[in-house]
Amino acid sequence: MIVKLLAADFLKIKRKGLWLLTVLGPFGVVLLQWFNYELVPGRREWLLQRSDDDWLFYLQNVSSFTPLALVLGIAILTSLAASIENETNAWKQLVALPVPKMGVFLAKFTVLSSLLAVASALLFFFTWLLGIYLDLGSATPYAEIAKFSFYPYFASLPLLALHLWAATVSNNQGIPISLGVVGFLFASFSFKLPDWLPWKWPSLQNQWDEPLVNVVLGIGAGAILYTAGMLDFARRDVK
Amino acid sequence: MISLLQSEWFKLRKSKFVFAAILLGPLITFFYALTLQPDKFGLEKTFLWEFLIAFTTLLYALYFLPLATGILAGLLCRYEHQNGGWKQLLALPVTRNRVFLAKYAILIFTVLAIQLLYLLAIWTSGVLKGAEGPFPVMLLWKSILGGWIATFPLLALQLWMSMLFKSFAAPFAVNVAFTLPAILAVNSEKFGPLYPWAQPFLMMYVSKDAGNDTFFVPWEQVLTVAGGSFLLFFFGGLLYFRRKENI
Repeated sequence: MIVKLLAADFLKIKRKGLWLLTVLGPFGVVLLQWFNYELVPGRREWLLQRSDDDWLFYLQNVSSFTPLALVLGIAILTSLAASIENETNAWKQLVALPVPKMGVFLAKFTVLSSLLAVASALLFFFTWLLGIYLDLGSATPYAEIAKFSFYPYFASLPLLALHLWAATVSNNQGIPISLGVVGFLFASFSFKLPDWLPWKWPSLQNQWDEPLVNVVLGIGAGAILYTAGMLDFARRDVK
Repeated sequence: MISLLQSEWFKLRKSKFVFAAILLGPLITFFYALTLQPDKFGLEKTFLWEFLIAFTTLLYALYFLPLATGILAGLLCRYEHQNGGWKQLLALPVTRNRVFLAKYAILIFTVLAIQLLYLLAIWTSGVLKGAEGPFPVMLLWKSILGGWIATFPLLALQLWMSMLFKSFAAPFAVNVAFTLPAILAVNSEKFGPLYPWAQPFLMMYVSKDAGNDTFFVPWEQVLTVAGGSFLLFFFGGLLYFRRKENI
């Protein structure tokens, strides 16, 4: 059942730009660092002088854009995925099929979280590639690159659950997109936010200086928000 | 033309959400300004206005304003994208040029309203925080007007994209792809002035030595970067709309 729903949802996102954005997001985040390091002559040398650990400094530079791209990317992807049914009023037809509404929601969530997982893997690959190209030292810190690529993904799962719910229940897609803009403003000032706000978590900062806390919080709160969103979606009337 | 403007505003007004979208930026600016603590920076209350303006400009002009153009343009075309609205609108005795102009005019006046509400947000937060010294009205007018002008090309591109794509998120994705690099671009003396999406920030950021009585950036920059990209996006959008097939 769920396999068929998933197959249907992967089919539906074809040629809608979701895959393109999945690639474009991590590519853009890393491309910005290429601009940062290489576009102005002498800038690379100046940046390398600023720290003892060139790789770590480079990874921190990359990860200053990762949360921003994630927050907005989640808002855009969820809205695009919900628009497939929203634009043509196909929710009615979809839930008229002999499938549970919870399954419909689960399939959408699974597709989107897979897309984001692919984006994180691509972020790992692009970060590694540019790091090699910039010649940041012989010892490539694969574990650190993985941390900076995959931890924000897990930490942003609550936002994915929240946005998927907001996008599927909103008739006007301006509402979830505006929520994304507010989230983006929060994320860009994450150093000022209290630790309990999910918009801070993708930045991997917290008062204990332990990124793993954000990963655990992300998975836990993500599961709660996902369940709440799914239950609400299931009991709502389809317009 | 007047009736077209009226009908565009009516359609926008009826979606209700547009008021939330208009209030969003000024409200966030207001609460952000209230949380700022100038004492921590060792500043006295005499400079509170300058302090508030400098800090909120970053949030408002660099992050919010460029993204807001995408939301507003999307809302303005949403009605027509539903249930064949373009066909119905263009079946009326109106020319496509005028429809495009009316939509664009509504957009720029909505942004002007947002800019004025931002001014109000700064003023209110300053008064609440007990600012001494005169309200820097001239500086702010420059900033408000400059930021407004700087959104003209962005609004034109977003209107074009919103007409092109049926979904709300797709034109917004274009907006995001151009806005995120602006965060990096404003740090560069070479590329910042040339990047249209960095202009709202550069034209709103209060600086003393621009050698320009009207804006905070040189006239050449206003005319070539903001003006040039405006011409490109506005006429690109207009030409697209004139040939648009309505399904």
